[in-house]
Amino acid sequence: MQGFLDIFDIYLLEAVVNGILLGGVLALLALGLNLIFGVIDVTWICYAELVMIGMYGMYYLVQFYGLPYWAAAPLTILLVALLGAALHYIVIAPLLTAPPINQLLATGGVLFILQSFATVAFGIDFRNLGIRLPVLALGEMHFSYSRLLSFAAALIGMVSVYFFMTRTYTGTAIRAISQDRQIMSLMGVDTKRIYLVTSALGGALAGLAACLLVLQYDVHPFVGLSFGPITFLICVLGGLGNFVGGFIAAFVFAEIISLGGLFSDLEWGYVLAFAFFIVMMFIRPAGLFARRS
Amino acid sequence: MPGHKVARLFVGLSAAVAVLGMAVAAEAQEKKIKIGVIYDLTGPLAGGGSELQYTGAKIMLDHFSKTGVEGYKIEAVYADAQSKPDVAINEAIRLVEQEKVDMLLGFFSSAQCVPVAARVEQLKKFMWITTCISSAVLADKNFRYIFRPQASGDQFGLMTMDFIAQNSKEKFGKEPKDLRVAIIHEDGAYGVDVSKGNEAGAKKAGFNVVLKEGYSATAPDLSALVTKLKRGRPDVVFHTGYNPDITLLLRQAREQGLKFGALVGHGAGYGVYEKLKEGLGADVNYVFNTDPISIWLANQKSMDPKLPPMIKMVGEEFDKAKPGVAIRSAHVGMAASNTYVFMTEVLPRAIKKYGGVDPEALRKASLEVDLPEGGTMLGFGVKFYGEGQQMAGQNERSFPVVIQYVDDKSYVVWPKSQAQREAVLPLPKGTTFSSQ
Repeated sequence: MQGFLDIFDIYLLEAVVNGILLGGVLALLALGLNLIFGVIDVTWICYAELVMIGMYGMYYLVQFYGLPYWAAAPLTILLVALLGAALHYIVIAPLLTAPPINQLLATGGVLFILQSFATVAFGIDFRNLGIRLPVLALGEMHFSYSRLLSFAAALIGMVSVYFFMTRTYTGTAIRAISQDRQIMSLMGVDTKRIYLVTSALGGALAGLAACLLVLQYDVHPFVGLSFGPITFLICVLGGLGNFVGGFIAAFVFAEIISLGGLFSDLEWGYVLAFAFFIVMMFIRPAGLFARRS
Repeated sequence: MPGHKVARLFVGLSAAVAVLGMAVAAEAQEKKIKIGVIYDLTGPLAGGGSELQYTGAKIMLDHFSKTGVEGYKIEAVYADAQSKPDVAINEAIRLVEQEKVDMLLGFFSSAQCVPVAARVEQLKKFMWITTCISSAVLADKNFRYIFRPQASGDQFGLMTMDFIAQNSKEKFGKEPKDLRVAIIHEDGAYGVDVSKGNEAGAKKAGFNVVLKEGYSATAPDLSALVTKLKRGRPDVVFHTGYNPDITLLLRQAREQGLKFGALVGHGAGYGVYEKLKEGLGADVNYVFNTDPISIWLANQKSMDPKLPPMIKMVGEEFDKAKPGVAIRSAHVGMAASNTYVFMTEVLPRAIKKYGGVDPEALRKASLEVDLPEGGTMLGFGVKFYGEGQQMAGQNERSFPVVIQYVDDKSYVVWPKSQAQREAVLPLPKGTTFSSQ
């Protein structure tokens, strides 16, 4: 009994809180991907690579051009928003009526293009923004402000997207299109413009994620590999296109990783998280929070 | 047939034969060895040290391609393994079967070395490994054509444990059995192998191992590992990793308030000081690294006299290629030295004594290399374990050294015979991770 009680120590609490903070990072990443899929019905496999480009943007604006972080961040968000819109205009729009596998392969191709572009343009070196935020110490527990920032940004981003979708004309049009793509054009809505706005918004969310991830991770052309697959799994787990589902799934996933890693080997945390994903795909193939049809 | 026509035909035929003969003769005269060189030029391993290894090998290959060796031209064909084992295998096979290279040289990652070595042996081609250290590449394989002058992974792990064990009482004021140590490593062939050496060394020293754990080098979060380290309260953390996982671990360790007395790294990412400094700032001060000695730190007085000028040349060429680097990485010298050993010891012997550059000649020549300590730029000697031995193909005379980064400089601190200064142990008060 004492052995069992021993696990309820301060480190368990720290792991729980760290899981929540990691969940914030993952939720932020999932938000943009879900928005794109929910509306345009296309999965941007290259989403994490957009984040990578945004991280490079931050690095160069801060380190090379000497801009302060707070000035570089909006520029980066704008840059990745434009990149998102361009991605839609150049790659997605011509494939909107193509079979899903073609769309998937096309965005997969963009993934390799962006990785190779970054390798050629920025080199293979790991780059660090060089900004070290202070640490919040609560007794034996310490938490990183950069993760707390990501967590807050994920929450604010989630609420903002919610209000945008429910309180604005464009948001309402986006939701309407996500429900029935064909009928909206018959009702006079410019679907092409809405798709472009949604893509830019998805890009902007990737830019926001980039601004926060660059505080925690080194930038290199392949940084997307660490986040891309896990972000995609979270979106599927929450139900592709379901913002709230993706948000909660991110925290579930992160807690399994964090607590699994604490009680066993770190690798087992990931094994458990992926096993949970597989089991849930059997039980609820459309995602944790999909409505039963 | 009129006479002048016969004469013209005769002249034409003579000219054709002469041209053909000259071509054949030219081909016979142009003796060359075609070397397939494989490192990671893209992907995470490139910045983790592989590109520096490539630079070191290229400097040496370029040097010898100017002069040739025993009348043979040196032609290098470079390939990028892209930090992926499957690509490394495909590129190795492509170089052998399509580019028709005579041998392969290079390889940074042990995860690539293990399968590539097995495949190259199957193809009966010669392979000279400059870098990857995992014992699993050669242990119990009894390969005939694979040779590695580099120290093996378990030697790295044993060396660092011995270093701490010998300093336990004096520096930490603790008997080895009371010293709490943690062994953490990336979970590839390289990390696992070094950790086995660590574990064996810890057992020998009688350390109290509070945590031993592997993790994926691409894991996006290591906070749970840091929490476990905090719970284990280790005096010394032994870590084997690439980059950027090293930076991520230490950044999260700082953020989560992890404290310890010393951090001992084992090559790869720990060998690229510039990147450590960029990612960790002042926290990199007093970190230890284990690697074959940097050729620029090796004791040149006890070295073969022809080696110091080569070291100077490698340094100058490296500075041209990468100007403004604070500490020339040990990675560069490692590949340069190991390539130099091949060019000066194996290749001339294969050509002169065994008549060519076929795998059999190169194999026999390798087995006859017998360099004493001080015979290479890395300080160690070269003598390969022969067929039938457990580590056939491994250099039995290689050894790594422990260095410490102090104020943007690196110093050899172990073994004592090579030490340039006393190790700073434990971490001084006031430093980020200091447990004092």
